[in-house]
Amino acid sequence: MKSASPTTPWRLLRVYLGPQRGSVLAMALLLIASIALEIAEPLIVARFIESIQLGAAERVLITIALVFLGVAALRQITRVVAAYASERVSWTATNAVREDLSAHVLDLDLTFHESRSPGELIERIDGDVNQVAEFFSSLIVQLVGNALLVLGILIALTVVDWRIGLTFTVINVLGFILLSKVTAKATAKWEDDREQSAQLFGYVSESIRATEDLRSSAATDYAMSRFHRRLRSWLPVKVRAEAWSSTIWIVMSLVFTASTAFAFGYGGFFYQNGMISLANTYLVVAYATMLNTPIEVLREQVQGLQQARAAIRRISEMFGYSSKLVDGEETLPAGSLSVEFDDVAFEYVSADDTGEVERKKVLDDLSFRLEPGATLGLVGRTGAGKSTIAHLLFRMYDPVRGRVLLDGIDARSLSLSSLRSQTGFVTQDVHVFSATLRENLTFFDPDVPDERLVEILDALELRPWLDSLPDGLSSRISPTAMSSGQAQLLNLARVFLKDPGLVILDEPSSKLDLTTEAMVERALDRLLAGRTVIVIAHRLGTIRRTDQVLVLDRGKVVEQGSTADLLANPESRLAELHRVGEVPA
Amino acid sequence: MTAKANAKANAKPADAPPTLKFLARLISYSPGRYLLAALGWMVFHLWPLMPGLLGKALFDVLEGRAALGFTVWTVVAIVVAAGLARSAAILGATVAWAGWYLRARGLVQRNMLSRIFRRPGADAASGSVGETVSTVRDDSDAIAMMGGWGFDMLSALIFAGGGLIILLSVDVQVTLVVMVPLALVLALAQLARAKAYRIREQSRAATAQVTGTIGEIVVAVRGIKAAHKEKQVVARLREHNAIRKRAMIRDKVQSLALDSVFNSTASLGAGLTLLVAAGQMRTGEFTIGDFVLFSTYLMQVSDYTGFMGYLVRTYQQSGVAFSRAVSLLRGAPPMSLVDHNKLYLRGDPPPVAPPAPLDEEFRSLEVRSLSHVFPGSTHGVRDVSLTIRAGTVTVVTGEVGSGKTTLLRAVLGLYERQDGEIRWNGNAVESPGEFLIPPRVAYTPQNPALLSGTIRENILLGLPDDGRLERAVHTAVLEPDLERFDHGLATEIGVRGVRLSGGQIQRTAAARMFAREPALLVMDDLSSALDVETERELWRRIFATSVTCLAVSHRPAVLEQADQVLLMKNGRIEASGTFTELLAASADMRSRYGRRQG
Repeated sequence: MKSASPTTPWRLLRVYLGPQRGSVLAMALLLIASIALEIAEPLIVARFIESIQLGAAERVLITIALVFLGVAALRQITRVVAAYASERVSWTATNAVREDLSAHVLDLDLTFHESRSPGELIERIDGDVNQVAEFFSSLIVQLVGNALLVLGILIALTVVDWRIGLTFTVINVLGFILLSKVTAKATAKWEDDREQSAQLFGYVSESIRATEDLRSSAATDYAMSRFHRRLRSWLPVKVRAEAWSSTIWIVMSLVFTASTAFAFGYGGFFYQNGMISLANTYLVVAYATMLNTPIEVLREQVQGLQQARAAIRRISEMFGYSSKLVDGEETLPAGSLSVEFDDVAFEYVSADDTGEVERKKVLDDLSFRLEPGATLGLVGRTGAGKSTIAHLLFRMYDPVRGRVLLDGIDARSLSLSSLRSQTGFVTQDVHVFSATLRENLTFFDPDVPDERLVEILDALELRPWLDSLPDGLSSRISPTAMSSGQAQLLNLARVFLKDPGLVILDEPSSKLDLTTEAMVERALDRLLAGRTVIVIAHRLGTIRRTDQVLVLDRGKVVEQGSTADLLANPESRLAELHRVGEVPA
Repeated sequence: MTAKANAKANAKPADAPPTLKFLARLISYSPGRYLLAALGWMVFHLWPLMPGLLGKALFDVLEGRAALGFTVWTVVAIVVAAGLARSAAILGATVAWAGWYLRARGLVQRNMLSRIFRRPGADAASGSVGETVSTVRDDSDAIAMMGGWGFDMLSALIFAGGGLIILLSVDVQVTLVVMVPLALVLALAQLARAKAYRIREQSRAATAQVTGTIGEIVVAVRGIKAAHKEKQVVARLREHNAIRKRAMIRDKVQSLALDSVFNSTASLGAGLTLLVAAGQMRTGEFTIGDFVLFSTYLMQVSDYTGFMGYLVRTYQQSGVAFSRAVSLLRGAPPMSLVDHNKLYLRGDPPPVAPPAPLDEEFRSLEVRSLSHVFPGSTHGVRDVSLTIRAGTVTVVTGEVGSGKTTLLRAVLGLYERQDGEIRWNGNAVESPGEFLIPPRVAYTPQNPALLSGTIRENILLGLPDDGRLERAVHTAVLEPDLERFDHGLATEIGVRGVRLSGGQIQRTAAARMFAREPALLVMDDLSSALDVETERELWRRIFATSVTCLAVSHRPAVLEQADQVLLMKNGRIEASGTFTELLAASADMRSRYGRRQG
């Protein structure tokens, strides 16, 4: 992690390109060289024409032709080497951005993650950074290269005759402005087109998904008629978008026509009036032709530049977020821990598009105490606040009021590293990395000895499974090839690898098959012994294993007490939840 | 043309008619627009032959070799006229093409969609919905784009032929000496490009690896934080990044090097021309005008090569698109993909026909020895028989995976027919999928699919609102929800609108079913997402309409009301009778419901 986060676009460039100053310079020099060579090519041909008119020997002409070929070859080589340099600069810089951004995002607290979808984060870390990579590698080369090329040609034309130089400068500036205007308009029209096409295909995809519903409702005619209406409203939008984008070609065609006409007119007229030589007439015509490609490329690149700038801005913004958690210094002792919630409240604060701040209370007035080695069950519907309790214990975020105490110490003053290595969280959904079994168990930590891994797999009765794998711990496992039962056991192994004093267990709400279920049960019996345990329980069987129960509803404790008492009392909320089927057996 | 021949052999299934036949049929859907577009684009593609000739004309004038009366200004006037003509051609061709393209693509989509709605077995769309959607969306595009392929290919051939003839007419020797090595270089580069595939694959795999790693990191944030292994995970990303960097640089540099070979053809050709023609230029046999012509044409060689490559690729892709589209038709004749049907682009589509009245009053539905086993498995239902009489309530119950849903879907003809017989009022039903629909039967699946649009649209699906909407909404106990929405029945749902809860989706679908006012209601576990109160009210209202019902349910309250209860187990009906009878007769039933009954 870089300590100074690059929170502005300019700093971003400085931080990541700074270390590569030498390569950037080399890249620039190569680029300039290749452009100089490109501008030199027509000059050599002009020289050739001049020599013919002076009646030079064939040997001289052949030498000039060979020089021309040599320059042409050298230009291509310079281009490739320049491209290589820019690719290197680009990948070195953007790889560092990807790594730092990932580390930064991992460091942010859970309130950040809960308000963003994984897709959005992937788009930032991968999509936006790729755009920046594109910017460094091809964009700069093309943009700067073509701009320099145009400039060089215009200067060369001015040297031939200032009037010609001026005329072409005007044509190109006008052409570029016109092209940008037309492109902006066409882009807007294409947005409309994309919108229409998205609506049509959204509808097509929905209605295909609903085929069964539509058929059994005898509504397929209706569905077809909606398709026709969508198609009809797309037609004019499509034609307009295509027509506007054709104006880009038209402008280019007109610019080309104007350049050619002026080149021919000036060249011919000046030559016939003895103002320039035939060789220079050739130069004017050749340069005029060469000017056509760069302005189109420049237009594309300027558009690309805007996208890259937006991407850079979004990346800097991402670096700008900082974790609200401040790391503490105290450490937890080994062994089982006591847990206490002291008048804890938690709420999500989210700002919508209009900037309006919305507060959503998730937990309120929560107090309880759990002795070391005791077991607590959390019961309640989805959204009751059970997971929030777990997340607070892990300091994925801090409460807005009250204190969470572990072993009597406020979680805020504990070091995150000590807190998270002393507590284990068995989540419901297990993420299996497509990596080796060892990496999956250790989260890619190479420092965990294999013996420890085998020991824990043994305790989970997974030894036979391990032995059946082709490469033992080094076997690659993949999310798709694992049953949910195996994934659960893997999850347990991960948590117990660190021998935590407090375990939070989010019981899977879906059922495992009986054999695995029994394996998990036995493993839990063994592993949970002697630790403080908080279970987010969904089933009666699990609740029976706890000492105390906390029944939650919409962020508040509605019932609290010893499990045995509550289950015995038919008036209790817990007993009622069981009766109406919220807590199945 | 061997590449084309190969593409044809590889991409087309034996039974599909030739691509060109499809294309001809498609073109004839809107021939005027197509012709206009073809003409315009041919002008566009052939235009690059002009600048070279005009450049030659200019230098011929300047060197005094041109015909009498041909001046610099004549040449300039032609340049301007040609430029304006080209601009006009671009605009006309684009507009005509857009019109043709949308019609062609729309037609193909229309035909696909209407086939999907009618092909045997509605499950055809399940499982591979994604694939079906992408065929309707992307392959229709590839097929319509083939229309442009025709005139592009023609212009490309004319352009190459014309250019070559012009060059040969100027100087045969120079043309051959310049073009042969160029062609060789291009052929070699093209070959190298094909070989570059392996390196491209490596960089693609390395990129996928990095994207995958980043994806895993953001998905597993909680787990990683809880395990406190942030640093180790980032270290893994660093490893993958380094691999990708090496692969990408190799890939990019290689493709840039190849590109530069293509780009260098202009300079290389010009240099060769100077070299070969040096002697003749001294004597004036090969003029400066000739050189301008050669060098201008040589500038187009690399563009042209790229364009040809694009045309060959397009042809190959369209072959694949056609065969995917044909397999989507499931047995309908392939040419029906391009049947000329009306697209209603100018006026409204015809109004949806009002619901037909029931042709004869419903008396009974009999199912005899019905079986449906999923291909490649032993799951399904076997040898199921049942009879539903008008005015009765039949409830199917049983544990998860016992075949309840499969039974309903098999009866309704939502699977391709396997075994068994279905009789409606005593008459055998040949095609239940087309017969057991409103006004006879309507169905609410367990996970109903709604369309984006208003709730009203979703319930009516084109039916006239003659009071049925209100009745349906009432029976489905949807009023309390509608009151909570700002716009009631006009509330937009779906992608751009309100997201309904599972229970609201189910009851909207139920209202959709009630609105069809069928003789027989079929419901698959309507209550799975409803709270107890709402569900009780819903059933009370259904029973109050005294309509015939076939339903899957687990709730004792529903089972108690049923005239017959069918207990499913392992794909068979294990027991049937009233709830009380089953409790007495079946140990399974007692273990499921016994305790509650005391």
